[in-house]
Amino acid sequence: MGAVTLDWAAIAQAGHDAHAAAQSPANLAYTLLVPADAADLEALTSQIVPSDETPGAREAGVTFFIDRALGSFFAHWRESFTRGLGEFQAACRTQNGDLAFAALPSARQIEFLGAVDRTPFFEQVRLLTLCGMFSSPQYGGNRGGVGWKLIGFEDQHVFEPPFGYYDRGHHERTGS
Amino acid sequence: MNARKFRDSETVDFVIVGSGAAGGVIARELARAHLSVVVLEQGPRLVPAEFEHDELKYWFMGGMTPHSVRNPQTFRRDATQTAERPPVRPPLFYARGVGGTTLHYTANYWRFREIDFHERSALGAISGTTFEDWPISYADLEPYYTKVDWDIGVSGLAGASPFDPPRTRPYPMPPVPVKSSGVLFERGARKLGWHPTPAPLAINSTFYNGRPACVHCGFCHGFACEVMAKASSLTTVIPQAEATGNCEVRAESYVSRIEMDKRGRVTGVTYFDADKHEHFQRARAVVVAANGGETPRLLLNSANPRFPQGLANSSGVVGKNLMFNYTARVLGLFEHELNEYKSVQVTRILHDFYDSDPRRGFYGGGGLDARIGPQPTIWALRAAGDGPGWGKGLKDHLREFPRSMQVACHTTSLALESNNITIDPTLKDAWGVPAIRVTYRDHPDDLATARFLQDRGAEILDAAGALRVTKAAVTESSLGFHLLGTCRMGNDPAKSVVDRFHRSHDIPNLFVCDGSSLVTSGRGQPTMTIQALAFRAGEHIAGFARRNEI
Repeated sequence: MGAVTLDWAAIAQAGHDAHAAAQSPANLAYTLLVPADAADLEALTSQIVPSDETPGAREAGVTFFIDRALGSFFAHWRESFTRGLGEFQAACRTQNGDLAFAALPSARQIEFLGAVDRTPFFEQVRLLTLCGMFSSPQYGGNRGGVGWKLIGFEDQHVFEPPFGYYDRGHHERTGS
Repeated sequence: MNARKFRDSETVDFVIVGSGAAGGVIARELARAHLSVVVLEQGPRLVPAEFEHDELKYWFMGGMTPHSVRNPQTFRRDATQTAERPPVRPPLFYARGVGGTTLHYTANYWRFREIDFHERSALGAISGTTFEDWPISYADLEPYYTKVDWDIGVSGLAGASPFDPPRTRPYPMPPVPVKSSGVLFERGARKLGWHPTPAPLAINSTFYNGRPACVHCGFCHGFACEVMAKASSLTTVIPQAEATGNCEVRAESYVSRIEMDKRGRVTGVTYFDADKHEHFQRARAVVVAANGGETPRLLLNSANPRFPQGLANSSGVVGKNLMFNYTARVLGLFEHELNEYKSVQVTRILHDFYDSDPRRGFYGGGGLDARIGPQPTIWALRAAGDGPGWGKGLKDHLREFPRSMQVACHTTSLALESNNITIDPTLKDAWGVPAIRVTYRDHPDDLATARFLQDRGAEILDAAGALRVTKAAVTESSLGFHLLGTCRMGNDPAKSVVDRFHRSHDIPNLFVCDGSSLVTSGRGQPTMTIQALAFRAGEHIAGFARRNEI
């Protein structure tokens, strides 16, 4: 009993590790997307929030999030998404010698997106990408809170002043 | 809780439709006057511990607001268009649940000023609009504003603003701690010779009325408060109404019709319970406080052979004159971190441009405030809309989150008959009840006011030393947070729905009090006025009931 209560930190870490393991890519399977669609979607979302020295949509698990979302809480968007993806893929192949979007070099992907980034499908994917990047990790995206870390958001229930650089010193002086 | 239970077959004194800002207050006032009250609320009753910091749930999944599939609404700009269902969320963003929209609001509690009640007389008629004076004055409402300050709980600093209307008591609590956005806003505005002041908020800065002080979690706008520091009807007036032993609040009780007898008096309401079974609750009188969208919908859906165009609608005004208030945004990027995602939305406001000034060439005025704006997901979506839409440019913009703030510029909205709530001709909700159709296009003066205030906001951010100032595009509204004006008060039964005491002109035992009662829109923060009206209405309606005048 004593050993257990003395080691809260280790217990918390074990729980954290178990959660992280459950979220690791090796254990994930898509429920709706076929591999070719998943590949195109991952390439597309990675152009919306690219990975560089910091994580992007890929590391946040956005494609997995979208797969889960369209099968459950965003099921009412599935039809328009599926139709839009089909049109996107067909247009891509027509203009790129029958190559899938995922098979194009990044520069060519960017060029192609420049022509379609006002379409309802692109806007829907962008919305899903940003939801998957920044919403609560319980929905399958924002893995390990990488989206929140990227923008400097602390997931915490209680804060105390000072909140930022400019209100430092103000609270002691005025109390308000 | 010794909350009383009534049977449907029992005739209670009052049925109140809605448990939000107005419904909760009226329930408490009537129950304390020893009248029997049943409050019917379409949404569930949650306890504060169930409220989560979950942007997806509350902003995209209809976790507390109308759900795009179960509670659909349609939208169009004008009557020539066919209304459509918006892809992401229904156009009226209000909260369902015991407490109503006071669950998820930001809790900016500005009083209206004297001018708001007689502005048409001061400025003259505006062609093409239904701009009108109120049938009551600021002085009529002042005691009830003070009641809101003390009974609900407002933090603020009386006397800080040279523009504040007269008040009979100071605030019961000091302002909440200033944030970096407030410090910068104050610095910039003072340099320009203007008058920034601490924001009055219905958020506790100290332990007050049995509820704790704010813990600065940052999730006010669109979220309910899990520590009860933000005043909601759920945690203030509703439990006080129940404690009288005269009031029952029935959650998941969705009113579809108000029923009427042959004498032209209402007899009670038909509603669905959680299992979609229909019930009829009999009452001596009905108070509709379902918000500026749902209230006109219910009156219109209750049409009968005697009132074929809807209840209380001989004027044809039910549903018309919808006003949203426009909010224009200016973003400022600073050198150091502000971390605006912490604590309340707003700590400083500015009312130097409250009054309409004919020299500007258009009607309108408003208030500015320094605020967080959104939490991460909405921040990201707005960033994509305001700046580079994708790629490295978007990613760089997203990372400015902790160093950014916004000035929100809240405007008047002119009343127009062409902006309204009607019943969609084909769409029904999951209960088979005909759905809301919203028709809305901002008056050109509203958008001109938005741009004028936005320029002032940009000047403040510049003067505060912002590295970059960006004005978000001012485009026509397609989402309504403030649902105002759709059953306006007035002395003339041909031009208004309810009289100065919120009794409908047409039906003596039918009362309406909520955002729909407002004649003009104020400057963007309506809840305090809705609650002041509700305290006043509750007092008068209780008097009518005691004197057998209902």
